[in-house]
This record gives sequence, structure tokens and C-alpha cells, in this order.
Amino acid sequence: MKLIKDKVAKLSFVALLVTMTAAIFYTPTASAHGEKSQAAFMRMRTIHWFDLNWSKDEVAVNETMSISGKLHVFAGWPETVDKPEVSFLNIGIPGPVFIRAGSWIGNQLVPRSVTLELGETYTFKVLLKARRPGDWHVHTMMNVEGGGPIIGPGKWVTITGSMGSFVNPLVTLTGETIDLETYGLSNIYFWHALWYAIGLAWLLFWCKRPMFVPRHIAMTTGKRDTLISAGDKKVGILFAVGTMAIVAVSMGSTNDKYPVTTPLQAGLMRGMVPVEMPEPSVVVKVEDATYRVPGRAMQMTLTITNNGDSAVRLGEFMTASVRFLDADVLEDETGYPDDLLAEEGLTVSDGSPIAPGETRTMEVTASDAAWEVYRLADLIYDPDSRFAGLLFFFNEDGERQMVMVDAPLIPSFI
Amino acid sequence: MSASQSAVRSRAEAVAVSRAFDWMILFTLFTAVLGGYHIHYMLTGGDWDFWSDWKDRRLWVTVAPIVSITFPAAVQAMLWYRYRLPIGATVCILALLLGEWINRYLNFWGWTYFPVNFCFPSNLMPGAIVLDVILMLGSSMTLTAVVGGLAWGLLFYPGNWPIIAPLHVPVEYNGMMFTLADLQGYHYVRTGTPEYIRMVEKGTLRTFGKDVAPVSAFFSGFVSVIIYFLWHFFGKWFNKTNFIQDDES
Repeated sequence: MKLIKDKVAKLSFVALLVTMTAAIFYTPTASAHGEKSQAAFMRMRTIHWFDLNWSKDEVAVNETMSISGKLHVFAGWPETVDKPEVSFLNIGIPGPVFIRAGSWIGNQLVPRSVTLELGETYTFKVLLKARRPGDWHVHTMMNVEGGGPIIGPGKWVTITGSMGSFVNPLVTLTGETIDLETYGLSNIYFWHALWYAIGLAWLLFWCKRPMFVPRHIAMTTGKRDTLISAGDKKVGILFAVGTMAIVAVSMGSTNDKYPVTTPLQAGLMRGMVPVEMPEPSVVVKVEDATYRVPGRAMQMTLTITNNGDSAVRLGEFMTASVRFLDADVLEDETGYPDDLLAEEGLTVSDGSPIAPGETRTMEVTASDAAWEVYRLADLIYDPDSRFAGLLFFFNEDGERQMVMVDAPLIPSFI
Repeated sequence: MSASQSAVRSRAEAVAVSRAFDWMILFTLFTAVLGGYHIHYMLTGGDWDFWSDWKDRRLWVTVAPIVSITFPAAVQAMLWYRYRLPIGATVCILALLLGEWINRYLNFWGWTYFPVNFCFPSNLMPGAIVLDVILMLGSSMTLTAVVGGLAWGLLFYPGNWPIIAPLHVPVEYNGMMFTLADLQGYHYVRTGTPEYIRMVEKGTLRTFGKDVAPVSAFFSGFVSVIIYFLWHFFGKWFNKTNFIQDDES
């Protein structure tokens, strides 16, 4: 019986080892950036990304592509998230598969953190240069200090070619042409190898003689003074003086070689110029809003007043990067990511144009699996059960007006 | 052979066993320090040591020596007071740098493709050698803490300058001035590390104009003295056999 038990124990142990070893070899690529896990209210009530354009779906190594569009900083920014007073226009990619060749808010290059104003809309552009081949999910992203990353829509982009051919050439202000990808590498390896060798030499000097047992015996038998000889001290002085001499000489020669160096550049950038959005002539009042959990649909009762001089129709409701379109009014031609696009996801109780001067109350329903897939339904578990989003109205000439909505949301479980 | 008999039968055998112990203990010490010190330094020095665009003349110079003198002080206490071996700091830095280079090369570069010239570790070896030699010559914790700790802080920046100076050459890029290190941080995207996290050039130390690195180094040296005392006592405290149960007691 004991023999069987031992064998079972042994085999179990072997099986455990095999499983653990096998697990090491299973390393699938992480494709997503946790955008679905981010609290729904964070995505709905902070930054709204729209008019987005990924300039290419496929690029070769060393080629560039861009993501451009607009970002609206929501006026009803949640209390639980710090205001975007220190924000950084980032890009959501799995590490440096692209290099960020440039990023702009308005016409301003924004390599550093910026201050954004609530209620304003900004144009932005991120220029990316392909570096590592593969299929990558490329997201817009805004980091807000005290708020964390606020991730926007993502789209798959394929990079072809070989990373070995990637170059990142630059001309410094001292006139030197360099490749930043490999610049200074041999210098780094040289100095680290040199100092490591010196450290090893000091260690080996002491390791070549008996170390622990005899020295411990000497320490406990009153012979501690015999353990460091005059020769040892001379060698020690040589190492210390040599070390300081190398540090001094290498610093001097480095200053001669690089007479112009500057400190790292840092600091907050203020004064981002927002885009002038036309004042909407449409006024929207949210009478009520419910989210039907079983139907994965949000229903709003809106009272819409058209103060303009041409009739308008509601064509799109956008929230948390998910676009619900009324197919009768608007068709997406921008190549927006399929999973975030509900092409027929918006229905209105009365789809006829709202005439100038008319006020109409109507039911608007935004329904799509995206509510579930993108975990927006989790809004009902948020501490402040409100929804927010952008409504886009279109007149007969196709001119667009953007209206922001923000209201309490009541869940319906039946 | 009974328990009361010696395991060795000649002096030659005793010497061989002793040397075997030497290498075993040294290997164990080296790997244990590599693991413990590496984790400690990653948690406390972290980004300042990871990225070239964090290696500034104020905070990196201040923080890195202060948080890195810890294990060298503790291991020195053990190796000096038990064995009169003045290699504690050097062993620590050799172990730390080996671990760091493995991490930077295999993980930062091999796994996530950050160029090595962007994520190389700081050089701590000059301070380690001087710290060991001062302990050997003075045989005094106080002297080593005061002189060695100060030297540890002061030698850090010049010891790293030949490595980082090329990356502090300025470049004009899209109408703004960067150092090459800044541009590395901007180009090589760290999705989870927004720019505002970067703690460089902050503070009110402006009286000394552009020459803030020596002042930062002195301050770092002063604090390193205190940290040395503290961790030296940690080393002495843990370097006891009280926790081993004595059968006869």
C-alpha cells in the first residue's frame, strides 16, 4: 500500500512539474489593453474621442502612420477622477512596437504633460513609425494624473518587415548624425564591463585565499589582526586610488568629448488651443434614461428643440467610444473599428426631421451587443449612476452639430 | 564513523572541504543578495535606474545612492565582523549588476524591445570599491559610514557621467529642444508610464544655477551616511545564530 502511495506521490509530483514546465511555453501575445475593464463611467464621462482616422491598416518597418481626430473633454467630469490639469497624450500600444515620432494637440507638439480645460474640444494627432512586425491593437489614450489612463478606441494595424532594419536617425544640435536605436551602446557596454572587471578583480583578490572557515576560526581565537596584512592594505589603497583616478579622468575626458550637454527637459505645458466648435442650435433635454439589462439597450426620452434655420435629424449617439448610428441618417465611411460601431444601433420613435423652431419629445434607443461586450452595462454598478455621451444631429446638407448629454440612468432588470 | 569523529582525515582533506565551503557560501551569498538586493533596488530606485530619461542631475543623483547603500552596508557588517573580509559592498554590486543586466537584456530588450541604450542600469561599482577599502583600512563602522557613505554619494554621478553624457547632447525636434535621453523616453512608448510620472528636475534647488549635481551628490552622501548606519545594524542584527536551537539547552 505504501509503495502505491509513494508511486502516486511521485507521479503527481512529476505531473506537477510537467504542467508547470508546459505553462512556461504557453505565452500568448497580450492583445488588449484592458479597455473593457475600465469603469464604464470613466469611459463615458471623461474624454470623448471622435472623428478618428487611422491613416493606414498596414505599414512596413520604418514607415509612418498617424491617428488623428478630436477629443472632447467632458464638462461633467466625474468627481471621483482628478481633473485633467496634468494630462499626457499617450498611445495605447504593446510597448515600443511603433516609436512615437510626434504627437500634437492643435498645432502644439506635446512631448510632455499638458493642461486641458473641461468642456473644450481639441484636435490631436499622433505620428507613429513602425518598428516591430506583428498585428497590434493601436488605441488612442489620455493619461490623467490622479485619474489613470483613459483609453480610447483601438484598431488593428499590421507591421510588416524586419525589426533589424529599423533605424531612428537624428541630427543633434552639435551637428552629429546618429541612430538613436543603437546610439552609445558600445560606450555603455564598455564602461559597465570595465567597472565589472575591476569589481571582480577586487573580489578575486580575496577569493584566492581561504575565506570563511579559517577566517572565522581566526576571528574567534583572537587572531583577527593577522587577517589583513600590510600587502592587503597596499592593494586596497591601489584599488581605491585607481578607482577615484579612473572616475576623475573619465569624467574629464567625457566633458572634453561632449562639451555641450543639457539637463533633461521637463515641465507642464499650458495653453493648449481648443478647436472652435460651432455653437449648436439644437437644445436637448434628457427627460429620463433607462438601461434595460436583459435587452442590452439604453432608452432615453429626449426633448429636442431646434433653434436653427434648417431641419435636423439625430444621426448618432456616441458614448465610451461606441458609436450607435441611425442607418437612415448616417453611414460610417471612416473605417471605424467594427466592434465599436453599431451601424443600425440607434432608433428614434419619430425619425422625421425636426423643423426649425420645433420642439419634439421622442424616445431614442441605443441598442447593441457592445453594451455587454464593452462592459458598459456595468455602469449600473458604478458609484454615480449617470451616463453621458455625444449626440450628433445632421441637417439636409449633411452639416453636423454636436450636443453633449449627461443625465442620471435608471437600470431596468425586467 | 560516529558523530563525534571528524569528517575529514587529513589536513589536505580539511583544506579541500574548507575551499568547497568557501565557494558554496560565496555562491549562496551572491545569489541571495542578487535576488534580495535586486528586488529592493527595483522597488526603491525603480524608474530612476530603469530609464535614461529619469537619470537627471537632481533626483537620480539623490535617490539612487541613498537606496542602494543599504545591502552593501548590511553585507559588509556580516563579512567584516565575522570573517574580516572587506568585500561586502563589492559582492553586493557585482550581484546587483549581474541581476540587472540579465533583467534589462532579457526582459526590457528581449521581451519588450526597449533598446538597451534606453534601459541600462546605473553604475555603482566605484562607490562599492571605495566603501570596501575604507572599511578595510579603518576597521571602523563609524569611519566607513561617514567617509565611505559620503564617498558613495559623491562618486555616483561622476562614475556614471561617461555613460550618460552622450545621451544629454541636445537635439532639436519638431521645434522643441530635447536631450537625446528625453527623446528616447518620448519615442519608445511606455504605455503605462505617462510623462507626468517622470520625476526629474523637480525641486527648488535653484541657487546653484546649473551646477546642482554636486549639491545633490553631497546631500545624497549625507543621507547615505545615515542609511549606512541603519543598514549596518540590520546586517549585524541578522548576522546572528540565536535562532538556531541548541540541543543542549
